[in-house]
Amino acid sequence: MIRRQIPGLSLTGLFAALWLAVPLPAVAATHFIVVEGLGGTRGYTERFRNQVEKMLPVLRRTAGRDSLVHVLAGTEATGGRIGAVFEELRRAVAPGDALAVFLIGHGSHDGRHYKFNIPGPDFTDDQLKGWLDAVPAARQLVVSTTSSSGGALETLKSPRRIVVTATRNGRERNATVFGQYWVEAFSAASADTDKNESISALEAFRYAESKVKAHYADNKQLATEHPQIQGERAGGFLLARLGAAAELARDPEKRELLDQREELERRIADLTLRKDDLPQNEYLDALQALLLELAELQERIDADGGSARGEKQ
Amino acid sequence: MTRRVLLAVSAGFLLAGVQAAHGQRGSERGFRSADLEPCDAHHDRGRIAQAAECYRLVLRGGDPAAQAEAHWQLGDLKSANDRFREAVRLDPENPDLRVRWGHLYIHSHQQQEAATLFQEALEIDEDHIPAQLGMARVLASRFEGKAVELVEEALEERPRQAEGHLLLARMALEEGDLEAARESLESALRNARDLGMAPLETYSLLASLEMLEGDPDNDWVSKALEYNPRYGEVYSDQAHFYVITRRYREATERLRRAVDVAPRLWRAHAELGVNLMREGHDEQGRRHLEIAYEGDPYSAKTVNTLRLLDTYDRFETFASGDPEGPEGPRAFVRLDREESDLLLPYVLDLTERAIAEFSAKYQFELQRPVRVELYPNHDDFAVRTMAMPGIGLLGVTFGYVVAMDSPTGREPGGFHWGTTLWHELAHVFTLESTDHLVPRWYSEGISMYEEWKADPRWGEAVTPEYIDAVRKGELLPVADLDRGFIRPRYPGQVAVSYMQAGYVCQHIAGHWGEAKLVELLQGFAKDRPTGANIREVLGIAPEEFDKQFGAYMKQELGAAYDGLPRWRRRLKAALEAAREKDWEGVLEPAREAREAYPQHVGTGSSYSLLASAHNELDNREAAIEQLQEYERRGGRQPATLRKLARWLEEAGRDDEAAYTYHGLLYNWPQDEETHVRLGELYLEAGRTALARREFEAVLALDPLDRASAEYNLARAYVKIGDLAKARLHVLRALERAPTYRPALQLLLQVKR
Repeated sequence: MIRRQIPGLSLTGLFAALWLAVPLPAVAATHFIVVEGLGGTRGYTERFRNQVEKMLPVLRRTAGRDSLVHVLAGTEATGGRIGAVFEELRRAVAPGDALAVFLIGHGSHDGRHYKFNIPGPDFTDDQLKGWLDAVPAARQLVVSTTSSSGGALETLKSPRRIVVTATRNGRERNATVFGQYWVEAFSAASADTDKNESISALEAFRYAESKVKAHYADNKQLATEHPQIQGERAGGFLLARLGAAAELARDPEKRELLDQREELERRIADLTLRKDDLPQNEYLDALQALLLELAELQERIDADGGSARGEKQ
Repeated sequence: MTRRVLLAVSAGFLLAGVQAAHGQRGSERGFRSADLEPCDAHHDRGRIAQAAECYRLVLRGGDPAAQAEAHWQLGDLKSANDRFREAVRLDPENPDLRVRWGHLYIHSHQQQEAATLFQEALEIDEDHIPAQLGMARVLASRFEGKAVELVEEALEERPRQAEGHLLLARMALEEGDLEAARESLESALRNARDLGMAPLETYSLLASLEMLEGDPDNDWVSKALEYNPRYGEVYSDQAHFYVITRRYREATERLRRAVDVAPRLWRAHAELGVNLMREGHDEQGRRHLEIAYEGDPYSAKTVNTLRLLDTYDRFETFASGDPEGPEGPRAFVRLDREESDLLLPYVLDLTERAIAEFSAKYQFELQRPVRVELYPNHDDFAVRTMAMPGIGLLGVTFGYVVAMDSPTGREPGGFHWGTTLWHELAHVFTLESTDHLVPRWYSEGISMYEEWKADPRWGEAVTPEYIDAVRKGELLPVADLDRGFIRPRYPGQVAVSYMQAGYVCQHIAGHWGEAKLVELLQGFAKDRPTGANIREVLGIAPEEFDKQFGAYMKQELGAAYDGLPRWRRRLKAALEAAREKDWEGVLEPAREAREAYPQHVGTGSSYSLLASAHNELDNREAAIEQLQEYERRGGRQPATLRKLARWLEEAGRDDEAAYTYHGLLYNWPQDEETHVRLGELYLEAGRTALARREFEAVLALDPLDRASAEYNLARAYVKIGDLAKARLHVLRALERAPTYRPALQLLLQVKR
């Protein structure tokens, strides 16, 4: 006989599920700024350009309006232009809105300050902090995929901000691969771990982090970057909608059914919170009943709208 | 850590009795004060109390070197170290002092520090024979071939000595050259008598020699114990040679006698502890290791093995088959709890397959279950192989106990655990069916051969080093092949000997038939030497066999026999073209490189280059063909094989893709994608039990996308028809991801 334990549902997993399931306050709009820094070589320039090009359609779809996505690349990505965009947002953004900033390129750290490489003088973490602080959005996300980006973590820390960096600190100076996987996460079904057909900042981070780790292991290289995330509720910061979710979001006729589904999800979350207090069979039966209800509701959503459905690829 | 610090930080301890270190203390191991002679005389005769009293008197004298020796004999190594340091400070140009100090370090298991002191002595006097011999002793303890050279030089310079002959005898015994050992020991015995030295070590080695000739309780054992009734070394030396020849049970019995005769012989306790563990008796082993540690805390082997034992609560043991059934389990597998869910199904399956296959082929039924241990921490595994001859070992077999690295402790592609386990399990049969009398070369040869037979993708591919050795005539005669494993004469000889031994077995199987391999094994079980066994079973003189084998090897290597220069040249050209992305330009030189050395599947293989070139030139079929040949010849790069599997899937060749993914399990089982894809392919092909195994492996890897992993497992259970388990897993998927549509649909399917 083989002695084996049947793995149970871990508490960590449960909390993660709940965390992602708990509805977050609706935001009026999400504003995106994408800055493509200097590549230095043709290879890096092409790589950064590709990453930005892959990200833009996704962000535009998430934002709902192209005007909410600001892109600064090539000669446009100067300190002056970037500052001007932040200034514009400082005036346009409402406190209930969200702001996400993506820095794609190379970075450096001089022992005191993180710098992002752009045409003309580089901007520092202090400057970036000033720009961000001035924008009233209550929910902010800053992602730097550059070398040395971890050097900005401390400076950018804020209760209303999630900060994602490719490196652990400013001393990790080698060019990174994090950006490539961060962008890949926006369209990867396996990054959508709660299967809600949306990719949150937390899901994208976890996906990219695991891919970076695998990248160095596969290539038998010592890892020269260790991605970091700081700040709370990254699971609720929506970055991308996949497939049907994107279409549903634009379909007002579905609203009632979607509200019912949201209510069911809330009840499931409540139940999972009480999991440890219930006998296992009772818990599973109750969970199954709610899920069957949800499954039937989902069939109605899928049948009524005629939207493309099915398993994501 | 320097020697000075190391001993200073270790707790000093003074034993009431006298340390067991006998004979040969005189000028051949560095000059010692004449004041010690009467004490040594008591000591060598086993008169412990008198010896101790005598050494204590020496401590009252003013000579720090003599005091050091007395402290050493009284067991206070810290004070001995301090006094040697003082003696060297007072007389820094005296090489003998450094040699004596070096021997203290050998005694306290610090060979490197000892070597440094011998080197310092040689810098003072480059012809200093005791320093040369000391260095040779250190090298011999590491099984380095250079030791023989050094001793021969010392003997040429000073033929009338015992030490050099004893060292040569010890090395000859380790290599199984009993004739040479006897010759050296006769010289040692004669010279020891002429020089008035205690003959104990000579007696001891003669006792070992006759033991290896089949008579363990010979007259030399009695003579040694008559000379000194507390001379436990006579047994521990015998045990050493039993261990060298992998006869662990016999070694244990000798070591038990050693500690009976000399309860303070700490290294015998340590060896006994380690040996008991090799037999699977961990708790008994621990007791002796603890005794050894109390008496001798300087032994890294003792300390590390005790530390390893302390980690065993992290491990869990699983039985194969039905332990409650009439036959009981055939194997136990010990795995780290952290990885047992992932590895257990594969390790058990392979172990059971190997046992079934080898039992039938070698006509031997195991007498007890095999125990297979996998260590995710290489250092833990390394403790198991400490002080054993060989190269960087991946696995080791002590009879019914197999210990090896776990794949999770190694880089992807750097370690093929499947072929390693298969190799080690073949050893279980060659060792146990011959009562451990099989020579090392034959046991390794059978294991190498069985790897190649098990799967064309397994086993080692021919290396350039091996081809060079064949061309230069460096392969050993079959009757002497064991020498290549114990004390290599040139770098890489151990690896060359492994491969030669494998090819010898392959040649025998091909030319005379596989049954002859079994007959040879049975001959070895009768303690027949290699030459006689070859003659008896194959009907050919070993010298004639060597000639035939040379011709076979040349034929087997084919174009590679003289293709290496061309291969290097053309591969370089192909690599340069690939760097420039000149894919058309890659084709011709890469093809020529492949033809010159088709067995090469290491880094930068021509197959990978050709595959990349064909793929870039939109000829996917040709690219696949190259990678399949790479795989068939034993190519192991996981990224390359995964690419092949993906290409095969894209080409709709699902069975072939599954074959490739399945091969990866034995190379890189921690790759999530391999399990997911293989699970899908199995599910598609209706091989539901295998699909379930793969999806369970995904869950064991604690994947980021756990909901998908649970859902996939639920799908497998649906196909198997176990709806209760399907329900459980689909609920687990949905608990994490309530809006996961395919899982919701599956739930409806399960409940409708």
